[in-house]
Amino acid sequence: MPMKTEPFVVNIGPQHPSTHGVFRMRLTLDGERITDADMVIGYLHRSMEKLAEERSFTQVIPFTDRTDYVAAMTGNLAYVLAAEKLCGIEAPERAQWLRVIMSELQRFASHSMAVGVFANDCGAWQTPVMHMFREREKILDLFEMACGARLTTNYMRIGGVSRDIPPEFMPAAHKLLAELPKRMDEYEDLLVENEIIVARSRGVGVLPAELAIATSVSGPMLRASGVAWDIRKADPYAAYERLEFDICVGTNGDVYDRFLVRVAEMRQSIRILEQALAMIPDGPVAVDVPVALRPPAGEAYGRIESPRGELGFYVVSDGGPAPYRFHIRSPSYINLTPLRDLAIGATVADAIVILGSIDIVVGEVDR
Amino acid sequence: MPALAAWYDLRDLGHYVTSVINWLQDDLSAPDWVTYVVSGVIGIVAILLWLLISQLSFIWIERRIIGRMQARIGPNRVGPRGLLQPIADALKLLLKEAITVRLADRPLFWLGPVLIFVPAMVVFAVIPFGKGMTLADLNVGVLFVIAIGSTNTVAVFIAGWSSNNKFALLGAMRTVAMLISYELIQVLALLGVVVFAGSMRLGEVVAWQSHYNAWLLFLQPLALVSFMIASAVEINRSPMDISEAESEIVAGYHTEYSGIKFGFFYTAEYFAGFAISAVTVTLFLGGWTAWGLEEWVPGWLLFLSKLYLVFFLFIWTRGTLPRLRIDQLMAFAWKFLLPLALVNVLVAGGEVLAWREGDISSNVALPIFGVANAVLAAQLIIGWGTFMGHLKPERRAKRAVLTQELGAVYYVPPKRPAGEP
Amino acid sequence: MDDAGSVIAFWLLAALTVGSALGVIAVRDLIRALVLLITSFLGVAGLYITLSADFVAVAQVLIYAGAISILLIFAIMLTPRASRDNAETFLQVPAFLLAGLVAFTIAFISLQTDWSIAERGGFGETASAIGEALLSKYVLPFEMASVLLLVAMLGAIVLVRPEGTPEE
Repeated sequence: MPMKTEPFVVNIGPQHPSTHGVFRMRLTLDGERITDADMVIGYLHRSMEKLAEERSFTQVIPFTDRTDYVAAMTGNLAYVLAAEKLCGIEAPERAQWLRVIMSELQRFASHSMAVGVFANDCGAWQTPVMHMFREREKILDLFEMACGARLTTNYMRIGGVSRDIPPEFMPAAHKLLAELPKRMDEYEDLLVENEIIVARSRGVGVLPAELAIATSVSGPMLRASGVAWDIRKADPYAAYERLEFDICVGTNGDVYDRFLVRVAEMRQSIRILEQALAMIPDGPVAVDVPVALRPPAGEAYGRIESPRGELGFYVVSDGGPAPYRFHIRSPSYINLTPLRDLAIGATVADAIVILGSIDIVVGEVDR
Repeated sequence: MPALAAWYDLRDLGHYVTSVINWLQDDLSAPDWVTYVVSGVIGIVAILLWLLISQLSFIWIERRIIGRMQARIGPNRVGPRGLLQPIADALKLLLKEAITVRLADRPLFWLGPVLIFVPAMVVFAVIPFGKGMTLADLNVGVLFVIAIGSTNTVAVFIAGWSSNNKFALLGAMRTVAMLISYELIQVLALLGVVVFAGSMRLGEVVAWQSHYNAWLLFLQPLALVSFMIASAVEINRSPMDISEAESEIVAGYHTEYSGIKFGFFYTAEYFAGFAISAVTVTLFLGGWTAWGLEEWVPGWLLFLSKLYLVFFLFIWTRGTLPRLRIDQLMAFAWKFLLPLALVNVLVAGGEVLAWREGDISSNVALPIFGVANAVLAAQLIIGWGTFMGHLKPERRAKRAVLTQELGAVYYVPPKRPAGEP
Repeated sequence: MDDAGSVIAFWLLAALTVGSALGVIAVRDLIRALVLLITSFLGVAGLYITLSADFVAVAQVLIYAGAISILLIFAIMLTPRASRDNAETFLQVPAFLLAGLVAFTIAFISLQTDWSIAERGGFGETASAIGEALLSKYVLPFEMASVLLLVAMLGAIVLVRPEGTPEE
């Protein structure tokens, strides 16, 4: 005798401690299982793409800080690469290496937050968050040393970086790099081996490889589903061709693997940083670019591997001082595509964990 | 007026109270009910005072400890070293507006916090704080503790239901399902204790532990672990605070409560934590005795130190462990803890029977039982865990694969449908 | 049962029990009726205590107020919202008549019977006495009750099972 149950619509967000920003999910529940998931976005829409059409090419760079506000350096870099392709400029050597150093520091900081917040979603009462934020704070101090701002850095420029690093940067960076491996061991001990985190995330939110490729997912989410695709190797930019590092891949495509991939990427970032800090040459840090830059008419797509996935900027110029069209291909927005398929069949608690594992930044989703 | 042996001799507070009562009865020839009321009042006032002071101090202590575990300092703004933080918290809760949701069921909405608060305090009536310091040493003390804990379930449901809020109701139903599962484990764990001590009276259990110089912690390790886990679930304490999971359903059954009504829930959680620690200390850690140390150190001081140590264990797990999903928690209760608790009761019964019938001396029997039970507990946990698949490779931790091949696919589809525990 | 305290306690508890029981049928909302029912259970537990039956009193709280009320909660949750009102039905008059008949019968029999009032002995241990009785003199009803509970549990699992898939 089947029991009659009524479907129950539950609204998670927009104000919620766990939706990583103003993001709303409407879940239709049958008991504890989700039968349908509906995403409502747009709470943080700031019409950046339209606003960019009225600013010059250099004035647009602060917008790129604020799309992915957790990983501002990589946002800057992607746009600057697109603009450089349009103008046909190439940044000098030292600038390329500085870009690599800043990107990898930013990747480590962003993954610290993603991993800490993931453990928080699993219920570990902010303890992992606090521990991981120790390292993030030190990295943000380095950023402040380099460009004056911790979060919205505005460091990259078309043709290089905005200024050279001060002399105290290198010793501080070396000191930080010396303690990072030990800390990573600590975190792996506490989190990766933890029974409860394994039980909460193993087998949850499995994204098969074909579905991942079909929905254009990128970044750690794609790599956790087993596809070894990293823009730093596939379409190298800055100085990545000269660096040695591995692509971190998971095998099951579940939430636990995404977590593992991020932790492994943190270790790879340390590896890259060690090489970059040793190999950085001296020289100029920027090419002289006119203030009122008017690139020739044309279009360009610059893409990088941001901590969330493939961040791309599609810039179209018509010869004028402002971009004719400025489109952001944000990884968080595209990565949300399979969320409905992942959520159906899971419980509410799992849905929160799955959302946390996609690691969205609503600034990117809504722009 | 009877007095203490010396003004600094605080060892025998219980005796002092008894002599006051006797003085009332014999010297003043007061009627029976006066004696009764006076002893009741003394006990109640003492317990309440102690509870309030402990709770206020522990608000500060817990937040500092958890702060330290999280590589930060903890409250340090209000007063010297943040010591006035509990006062600030209490004042804030009292002065905040206690919003009553318009569509909520008003009488039940008011009843919820009250019903949560009462069981946590009532349990202290049967706990022996020291020699002769029990408010009411009932013959069925152990069962009383469980019975009062079970009324907590109804209170949680009423709080969740009367808020007229889907999240609160969801939280309340989850909590109710969890609580009834773990009540059973609690009872079975305590059954092992009762079998050894031969009585349900808490004073008797302490006397047994003192007489045989063996804490039941050593004789019933599995029961202790099951009882502590089940009690942590019963009081909705992390790592099993699913019902108030902040990151999931905001605050579960007490989402809609604000102001002093929320203060009641908050306080009740601390009181319940103390109650559980008190019961654990009394039944498993020897209560106010400590192998003869109570001759020099006051019994109630030993009791309180042990209680605070056990409570510190709860704080420690709260700061460290993430929480399980509700269905995993229930599977853990029914499929893992329940069979283990049943086997424990069986073994305990057999051991006590062999001991009494065989007339073996306690000096020989108890160490053997202790070692046997410890080995059995370890074997059961490992063996049953392996049998239930808890130690299988797909449950274990692993690392990401590092590769240089661009474009390769390492995906392995899951063997079972996703989402099963 | 002679001293003033016991008499006062008896009347208070009796008023509580009977009052809440009447409230259960009078109140509109089902959950409030449930709360009043729990109060009635607690009143009965109090009455057991005035009779020095400590084990039965605590068992009453544990089982009735703790577990059976949860059962009723689940039962209420499983009924659709529309039929949760304690509304007017045409069955009220026959129900009252039937209840009145039962109450009258019990009152009549209890007043007519020659109760032998036992001497009030000391406050002894009832738990062990009950335990011994359950396992020696009344072992058959005890075992049958266990089998009944087992059958009820199995029935519940079978009823709730979703079709086709194995239960977790």
